Amino acid sequence: MKRLDLQKLGQYAIVIVVAVTLNFALPRLMPGNPLALIAGVDVGLLTPEQRAQIIADVGLDEPIINQYADYWKSIVTGDLGQSYRSGRPINEMIAERLPWTLLLAGGALVLSSIFGIVLGAISAWRRGGKVDVPLLTGMIALQSLPSFWLGMLLISIFAVNLGVLPSFGAVSPAANLEGWAQVRDVLEHAVLPITTLSVLSTPGVYLTMRYSMLEVLGEDFIRTARSKGASERRILFGHVARNAIAPVITFLAIRFAFSFGGAVIIETVFSYPGLGRLVFEAVSGRDFPVMQAAFLVFTAAVLMANLTADLLYPVLDPRTRSS
Amino acid sequence: MTSRSLTGTLRGVIPRSLADRLGWLGAGIVAFLLGTAVFAPVLAPFDPAERVARPFLAPSADHLLGTNDVGQDLLSELIYGTRVSLTVGIVAAVVAMVIGTTVGLIAGYYPKRLGSVLMRFVDVVLILPFLPLLIVLAAYLGRSLTNTIVVIGVLIWAAPARIIRSQVLSLRSREYVLASRSMGAKDRWVIMRHILPRTALLATGSFVRAVSGAILLEAALSFLGLGDPIQKSWGSTLFWAQSRGAFLTPAWKWWVLPPGLAIMAASLGFALIAFAVEERINPKL
Repeated sequence: MKRLDLQKLGQYAIVIVVAVTLNFALPRLMPGNPLALIAGVDVGLLTPEQRAQIIADVGLDEPIINQYADYWKSIVTGDLGQSYRSGRPINEMIAERLPWTLLLAGGALVLSSIFGIVLGAISAWRRGGKVDVPLLTGMIALQSLPSFWLGMLLISIFAVNLGVLPSFGAVSPAANLEGWAQVRDVLEHAVLPITTLSVLSTPGVYLTMRYSMLEVLGEDFIRTARSKGASERRILFGHVARNAIAPVITFLAIRFAFSFGGAVIIETVFSYPGLGRLVFEAVSGRDFPVMQAAFLVFTAAVLMANLTADLLYPVLDPRTRSS
Repeated sequence: MTSRSLTGTLRGVIPRSLADRLGWLGAGIVAFLLGTAVFAPVLAPFDPAERVARPFLAPSADHLLGTNDVGQDLLSELIYGTRVSLTVGIVAAVVAMVIGTTVGLIAGYYPKRLGSVLMRFVDVVLILPFLPLLIVLAAYLGRSLTNTIVVIGVLIWAAPARIIRSQVLSLRSREYVLASRSMGAKDRWVIMRHILPRTALLATGSFVRAVSGAILLEAALSFLGLGDPIQKSWGSTLFWAQSRGAFLTPAWKWWVLPPGLAIMAASLGFALIAFAVEERINPKL
């Protein structure tokens, strides 16, 4: 157990090193002048003196190994640099965007786990039956649904045609709402993006739950419980679902991190001011430091989710505790 | 959305005949789309790159799906989009399978040192935040069809590598493999003669699933404005629909709805084939 944890932690450390190294290497490996990618200047417009000045300023004249060490130093000290476009510290920009993405990803996590777990359990319990087959087929179809398209359709239907929900942003502009009116405003803006993200996440939860249930259903202790005369209901909730839940929770923790990534696309559709929209703005504005910093935040989120899953698993599945 | 969430959890109890029927349905969809892609110049009423009418036209007899913001025929765009979607999906999946099969074979056949180092690497690729990395790579490499294919291919090989490795691990201790090795057969011979052919069906399943995922990823990249600016793809049609606000007007019915349905049909067609193949390989319970 101990050994396994160390191995896992070592692996996460490697992931961080790979992510940081990719960030460092990519702008330097790309064809063309790295100055444009690293300092955000139009190289063609500079005199040779200005160019030399900027190269010295951003440290591109130093040996590559020193540049790499400096890059690590800035990341370890929590300095993610400045945006080319706005000149603002990136830390600040990320701090104001992160809560919105957490709201979307958190909301979607709750909804997709409720729907996924309940439907997955029903499906597995009635395997091969009239409920299971259409559900399973439908979930497979949902996995092929392009999330951004679903978002656009929801806007067309609920925001434009029915006019019941706002179509963009996280709050009504210049409304100066307070108290419950403000909470309501935020929720109204979050409904469509959270729905889109939930539809995206539910099939994975459903399939994991269904598969995990099917495995538990084949085990001996279920037969024992049945032969002892336990009621169907008691078997389903007391034995099967309880033992099937651990892999699902692991999946959910990891899915939460993936929702972060999916947010890049969904926040773009809804012009939602989260971290994902920040990535999109950085990409379209060729604001490379912001893009890189966001990538590191996403990596950190994935690792934290994995770590949470590792810690939760033995708590949820007693069978793995002793081994 | 990510291809790795698509793999692996589908196998279960479903009547064989139903799985087969779904597979045939998928094959039908794919065949239809392949036909459309091949005969696009014949089927499309206009050149999709040509401005053939006034912009923002509603559907009419001349232009069944209307025109876009610069007056190009949307139906022709939709028909030609099949080419980009299928090309990227299939070629990216080939790239992924070449890398994935090679890594899986080596890691499975030499499970000790080399295999465990390789699998450690596979795990790292699987953990990295997939979509953000895809976007970062695409942004640095620049917008072209080749770059889209490469970026998708080098990011989705890890899941197939894992699946193939586990198969190779079990194959290498089978009797005929042990017999062949005890008679002094070289590793290369054993892999090519006994192991590779027996991973073929499994690899087919992984390949088709990879195509399904790659089609969605291409659409997402194009929708974010990171696709080839010259090629008309379904994702880029939606990118322009989004940036011109088409989904805020009645135009969503002919400008937004059809490309999305096409993306879904293409991805689903391959996913259904993959589902049928996987059910056949691994009938559980």
